[in-house]
Amino acid sequence: MALQDLCGFKDSRWNFPDSILPFLSFPPGFPPSSSPSVPLPFPMSHGTTTLAFMFQGGVIAAADTRSSCNGLVACPASQKILPVHSHLVGTTSGTSADCALWKRILARELRLYQLRHGRRLSTAGAAKLLAHMLHPFKGTELCVAATLCGWDGCELVLSGPSLYYVCSDGTRLQGALFSVGSGSPYAYSVLDGGVRWGLTVEEAISLAREAVYRATHRDAYSGNCVDVYHITSHGWTRRDREELREEYYREKEREKVKAHRGCEGSSSPLGSAEAAGLDEDVRALSISLHMLEALCLSGDKRGMICQ
Amino acid sequence: MALFDVSGYKSHSELRGQILGTGVGHLIDRPNQQFSVPVGVDPSGFLKSCSREGGVSIDLNHGTTTLAFTFRHGVIVAVDSRASAGSYIASKEANKVIEINPYLLGTMSGSAADCQYWERLLGKECRLYKLRNKQRISVSAASKLLCNMMLGYRGMGLSMGSMIVGWDNKGPGLYYVDDNATRLSGRMFSTGCGSSYAYGVIDSGYREDMTVEEAYELGRRGITHATHRDAYSGGVVNLYHMQEDGWIKVCKEDVSELIHRYRKGMF
Repeated sequence: MALQDLCGFKDSRWNFPDSILPFLSFPPGFPPSSSPSVPLPFPMSHGTTTLAFMFQGGVIAAADTRSSCNGLVACPASQKILPVHSHLVGTTSGTSADCALWKRILARELRLYQLRHGRRLSTAGAAKLLAHMLHPFKGTELCVAATLCGWDGCELVLSGPSLYYVCSDGTRLQGALFSVGSGSPYAYSVLDGGVRWGLTVEEAISLAREAVYRATHRDAYSGNCVDVYHITSHGWTRRDREELREEYYREKEREKVKAHRGCEGSSSPLGSAEAAGLDEDVRALSISLHMLEALCLSGDKRGMICQ
Repeated sequence: MALFDVSGYKSHSELRGQILGTGVGHLIDRPNQQFSVPVGVDPSGFLKSCSREGGVSIDLNHGTTTLAFTFRHGVIVAVDSRASAGSYIASKEANKVIEINPYLLGTMSGSAADCQYWERLLGKECRLYKLRNKQRISVSAASKLLCNMMLGYRGMGLSMGSMIVGWDNKGPGLYYVDDNATRLSGRMFSTGCGSSYAYGVIDSGYREDMTVEEAYELGRRGITHATHRDAYSGGVVNLYHMQEDGWIKVCKEDVSELIHRYRKGMF
């Protein structure tokens, strides 16, 4: 490019056809070809909980909103799910700054691709692009672990929901269910038990919220609120952000109510079978109440609440 | 004691202390029980050199999943059965629950040798307590005995994460005892490296007024999902139910069959 020639910037490593990183002014010799990795001051783990899964109604992406800095909650209302374009959303985990920058770079490159070729790049392509862009920084302190959730609608590729996990150490995996971060084990077990292809949209959203809630309950580096995005063929929609503290109090209330009802039930002269039946009804009612609450208490942009 | 003084009896520890002078010559946790070690051996110092700061890294991870929770009808205890030595599976049917007596159970996670030895020792102490005092030891006292044993060897490389479960006069009891001599009473615990997966499931399904069948199912699910995601857990689910008149062993089911049952309808 002209500017490069003018500055005399020469780096034979950059063989990308479109010169992806032309104007980021790196000092000569950066990224170092053989980088002695600087030892980290403490072992970094991605202090977050993000998850994403596919089902018949599209892709659900959910994440908490706590940004921590070595024991301090730096921001209780950060955004960990960043929309890349109308049909692609990326969850972020790792260093917040790195994730934000690389998401923006990815968004720019995808837009350029769309302008040049007249169609959107598929999620697989976007994942490949991101992985290749991050590859030169392997071995440095860059830390990005993202799941790209999108809907591919082009005739050239298979249309439908798509989910990829990309990591700055070079991993790029396709899958149906991913959870990333320090709270991911807690979320994985909840999701493993509930995710099925045939879930309805409400059930899927409720399951995603439950998984993030359980993870924030046990993991110190996750907490505050939960963001849920839903990607369909029409694009992504976002639920209003929900405070998980409210969820915790609601659960405590429900437990108290059930304990009361349990006491009343045991003192009545019902037979054991009927008592069990009563328990089941109570449980079924409380489960459906829970889901209704989940929908009604925070509406989503498209106005899909039932009143 | 008077007789000791009159007869000039010197206990073993006194004699050794006289011969060897002061300094670490033995490890004592109880007056009449000690491990004799060569003079000059300093386990804590040696272990410091094995930690990450010393250069070598010997990580003592508790490679298992065990869980226990109390509810209205008692205590449920569920454990996996995989014993691993690094990446080698030493046993797929290890027994991680020690039946101390008909009303007391202990789970094991961490080093199998440490757990087995110390919990059998705990069993011996509980039996001695019953013989001396003509009544069963309480769960609180049993867990305290184990905790004090751990305290005697703190910093010397023991690796044990155990839950003591029982039913005594105060009702169902559940205590978590650690190799750091942590002792916690609670309603729900899970230990081992698969514990975070189990916590997600049991947190989400736990209610104090569950029926017995639901509680069994929750315990099974917790272990099954943990074995599905954790490489160091697997084998079978051993499920125990601690009731008022003692414990019963509920089932021993293979996790591969259970996970297929639970994930029916997945991709």
